[in-house]
Amino acid sequence: MSQTFPDSNKKLTQKLMAYLPVLLAAVLWCILTFKEYYYLKKVEDLSIFLFDKLLILESFKIPGGFLGLAGSFLTQFLHLPWLGALIWVMLLLLTYYLTITVFRIPENLRPLAIIPVALLVIGNMSLGYGVFIMREQDHFFAPLLGYLAALIPISATGRINGLWGKILFLSVWIISGFILLGTFAFTGALAAACAILVREGLIRRERITLFALTAVMIAVVPLVIYPLYTSYRMADSWILGLPSISEDVWTRPMRTPLQLALLYQILMALASDKLSVQKLSAFKNLVIQVSIYIISIASVWAFWFKDENFHTELAMSEAVDRYDWNGTLEIFRKAAGSHTDSDAKAYASRTKEISGASSSQEISDIVDKYSGRFFEPTRTMVLYRDLALLKLNRALDEAFTYKDGGRLQKSRKQIPMAFQSGKQFYMQYGLVNMAYRWCLEDIIEHNWSFSTLKYLTLHCNIMQESDFAYKYINKLEKTIFYRKWARQQMSISHDSTLMATSEPYKSILPYMCFENRMSNDNVKTEAFIINHFLDKEPPHPSAEYDRAALLFAMRIQDIPRFWERLLYYVDSNDFKTLPHAVQEAALLYSTLENKKTNLPYDKSVIENYERFDSFVKNNPVRNIKESAYPYSQKFGSTFYYFYYFTRNLQTY
Amino acid sequence: MRKIILPSLCLVLATCSPKLPSSYGTSDSTPTVFPDYKDITIPCNIAPMNFVIEEQADAYITVLESGTARAVVKGKTVRIPKPKWNKLISDPEITVQVYVRKDRQWTAYAPFSMTVSDDIDPYISYRIIPVAVESYEKLSLRQRNLTNFKEKVFLSNTMIQNNVQGTCINCHYYKNWETDNMMFHVRHYKGGTVLVLDGQLHKVNMKTDSTISAGVYPSWHPTHDYIALSNNKTHQSVHAASHDKLEVMDEENDIILYDTRNNTVSVIENDSCEMECFPGWSADGRTLYYVSAHYDAPFGPDRKNKIFLDREMLHFNLYSKSFDPDTRVWGKSRLIYDAAAVDSSMTWPRTSPDGRWMVCCNSTHGIFPLDQIASDFVIFDLKDNSYRYADEINSQYAESYHCWSSNGKWLMFSTRREDGVHTRLYFSHIDESGHFSKPFTLPQRDPDFNREFLNAFNIPEFMKEPVHITARQFASFISATQATQSKYESKRGE
Repeated sequence: MSQTFPDSNKKLTQKLMAYLPVLLAAVLWCILTFKEYYYLKKVEDLSIFLFDKLLILESFKIPGGFLGLAGSFLTQFLHLPWLGALIWVMLLLLTYYLTITVFRIPENLRPLAIIPVALLVIGNMSLGYGVFIMREQDHFFAPLLGYLAALIPISATGRINGLWGKILFLSVWIISGFILLGTFAFTGALAAACAILVREGLIRRERITLFALTAVMIAVVPLVIYPLYTSYRMADSWILGLPSISEDVWTRPMRTPLQLALLYQILMALASDKLSVQKLSAFKNLVIQVSIYIISIASVWAFWFKDENFHTELAMSEAVDRYDWNGTLEIFRKAAGSHTDSDAKAYASRTKEISGASSSQEISDIVDKYSGRFFEPTRTMVLYRDLALLKLNRALDEAFTYKDGGRLQKSRKQIPMAFQSGKQFYMQYGLVNMAYRWCLEDIIEHNWSFSTLKYLTLHCNIMQESDFAYKYINKLEKTIFYRKWARQQMSISHDSTLMATSEPYKSILPYMCFENRMSNDNVKTEAFIINHFLDKEPPHPSAEYDRAALLFAMRIQDIPRFWERLLYYVDSNDFKTLPHAVQEAALLYSTLENKKTNLPYDKSVIENYERFDSFVKNNPVRNIKESAYPYSQKFGSTFYYFYYFTRNLQTY
Repeated sequence: MRKIILPSLCLVLATCSPKLPSSYGTSDSTPTVFPDYKDITIPCNIAPMNFVIEEQADAYITVLESGTARAVVKGKTVRIPKPKWNKLISDPEITVQVYVRKDRQWTAYAPFSMTVSDDIDPYISYRIIPVAVESYEKLSLRQRNLTNFKEKVFLSNTMIQNNVQGTCINCHYYKNWETDNMMFHVRHYKGGTVLVLDGQLHKVNMKTDSTISAGVYPSWHPTHDYIALSNNKTHQSVHAASHDKLEVMDEENDIILYDTRNNTVSVIENDSCEMECFPGWSADGRTLYYVSAHYDAPFGPDRKNKIFLDREMLHFNLYSKSFDPDTRVWGKSRLIYDAAAVDSSMTWPRTSPDGRWMVCCNSTHGIFPLDQIASDFVIFDLKDNSYRYADEINSQYAESYHCWSSNGKWLMFSTRREDGVHTRLYFSHIDESGHFSKPFTLPQRDPDFNREFLNAFNIPEFMKEPVHITARQFASFISATQATQSKYESKRGE
């Protein structure tokens, strides 16, 4: 029994379906602009496009390089996330409409064209931490441009008369397309051959000729062209132009959505003739259309990388690059604050489950099961936060009032902090040669980026290597969005007085009071920074240096180091009363060591410690992880809590 | 029709060629140009010495004149047409006169000259490498025709490595500047030393149970089928706060002799208290020069860290060792220069083809001049073993790898003089008394190339001819061929 809709409903449904892609595009743009603002900024920061002859020529040294160049050109507009997102969304809309046109998708099946769009969105938005280790930073736009370009031969061969005309076009396309677009030229040619096969009603011999010639061209052209290039392995000829990442575990998941989108082209080319003859009832049509939309949207949502810590890291990173230290703290505070209710709920559920547990092993398992539901920052977030607090000279008062932890990245493989934020930390802590080193590693492993050019410029200016700085400033002057910044750096490079009063220099230079030494971080940024500050007291330490050193001594919970650094701190810093957290640490450590100190403790510090002591006596801790939450509710902003409940953190 | 077209074309060309100003003021100074090609000595077969005029002006005209030829170039960037350049360098001196127009007033700068001298080998090769610390990703060995601007990659590591396993390519070297016998190393993925022996490709593994590493820095014997190489266990570390950013140190060094015909390795020097490196044959092949530092520290896991701590105590002296190439018998080592006595370090000894001169790098300590700002060249007169700092070619930044042209008239070297970080190639002519002319950088089609290019030039070597094996042939061979294990044999005599 077929179901029917009244005409007015049918028209409304048709209208709705017609405008739905535009509506979805608008929603996508809003999500990108407002929710993924910092991700887009990071994609741009890690990309490069210069109006530079050498860079442009370089892109032609590999088949598919032109596509990368075009992708990089568009990626720069993500500097203004609303603009970059708008360009991307408009291209996605274009993809949708061209897919319909090229594959002649009938009106009732138009939602099928949302599938490649969804796949392309997934390809970009599921990347997560992979963004830090992409080999080419054109990945945001290049696959989309490649997909669009691959539609050209399908469309063009439909307009050319005669089989040999089509074959000639495909031959020219495969050669020129491979040079400019890489593998996208092949998928386009294959899809075009399929479309010709389905649409033209060829006889068997013509079919064989068409496919044999296309297949031979796809197989042979890379081999013939290979000697003209010296930049890739022959075995990689058929995957050139696809996004590439420096960790192999990422390659397949990263490429799969794009490969499915390209496979879609071939399948649609084969199915296009059959699609046009399908006659379905209005209800079935609606069900199919809505189902395709729902599945596509649900897939995008499911694969979208939504990890909150990742997004907080990106936002903090951006604030650090603007030297907005209050902003950096605010982002962390907001992220932690937004979990107050969910933490309480997780605690309530866990308590309920624990009450039914019969053994300590069972309790431990329950605690572990729930640990992921509580807010816990990554080490990168903690380091950004401590950096901001140190720059604001509030670290020794406030560093332990925030939530701490060491949640691992929600990632296929832990990306070393060195690649993610190493140059920022090293630069800000005055380890400028290490920042330089990680810029170079980044360039070699993952290509040049605006970010590395900026940090290399900062490095050269701080080291007063103006000839060297000019090289990078000159490159940044060839950009749209960093020209002004580059010119400012040019004036700073010749004026040490201006440098001493300009950010970020004025807050970096005080840390550079240490003597030269040989160093290697072994890709462990946090440990290296801590060791650097605690290793040897500089001959003329700055107040900033000793503050950081004391904070790191407190972070590693090393009691002798704390007393040692406290003395240095007292020597180089002016203060009326010792900072709050320092008093707490001193009181705790002197109690633990049964050592009398004549430090002037605040009354509130002593009272709070006594409360803590009495709470511990009345609420014995059987499992640190289990007790962490209830203790944090009362003493989460004290050094005591940090000392007892934040231990054995992993860094990366 | 032809009667109309030809005169019209001539008229158009005539109006296009720049006219010299009829009236102008004069300046006593020469203009600033980049690269600095003022008052230099150049080979008679070099490519056009294009340059940029670094003076602010509204218009520029440059006149290049020699005895019989003249070229007039308009614009800030002076690109000299090759046919005109060829005529210019057929005379012994080229005079360059630059006119600039500022505020409608033309000024003629004082002219500068280029002295045309001995010819130079037509080809050079080098490695293009990103400025790097530990990682490598894109390295290429390239050859450049010095008589024009043609550059060709003859191997790139991206043709071998895959996404997971990287390949490093380094230390290319030729026997007597000819490419039928050449070598380079491939490290890590598909590793081995690639040898071209009389045009035939081979891949060998020189690491044996009796040696500390595969061969590293090579020197090919001029008359026999031997290559002297160093063995190195190299590490790098970063200076926390210094203009010298990197320190490259070897945990251990020895030197070995590789017999190319028999694929055998024998030790030349492997004293456990000495760190021997950088072998370099004399012109006649009867003496091997090398450097060595005395370092007496126990072998073990701490040695690597200790050597970085002791880095400033590591001074490499210059030694020589006699050798009979027919019997392969070595003589005793002889100290040529006691660098340790003056707290310096001598590296990369390379003798001129006539056997008269030897140029070394000299620095405060250590073994890797490339990363030491203090590194400068020292020239030895081997007639009497006298030496001097070659200040006429040294700069405020690091001077490092150098090599002699086959006629011994030119020294090519890498230097960071332009910005302190990116290594560039420079050339200098040496006269009979051992004095170098003002060095000039490798001419490029775009004279701004050195400033724009973000990679470094590395290991420059002169060649009489191009490498004939293509990049594809090299890459296929390296990918498909397992390295043949070299055999160890005992050292003969001393």
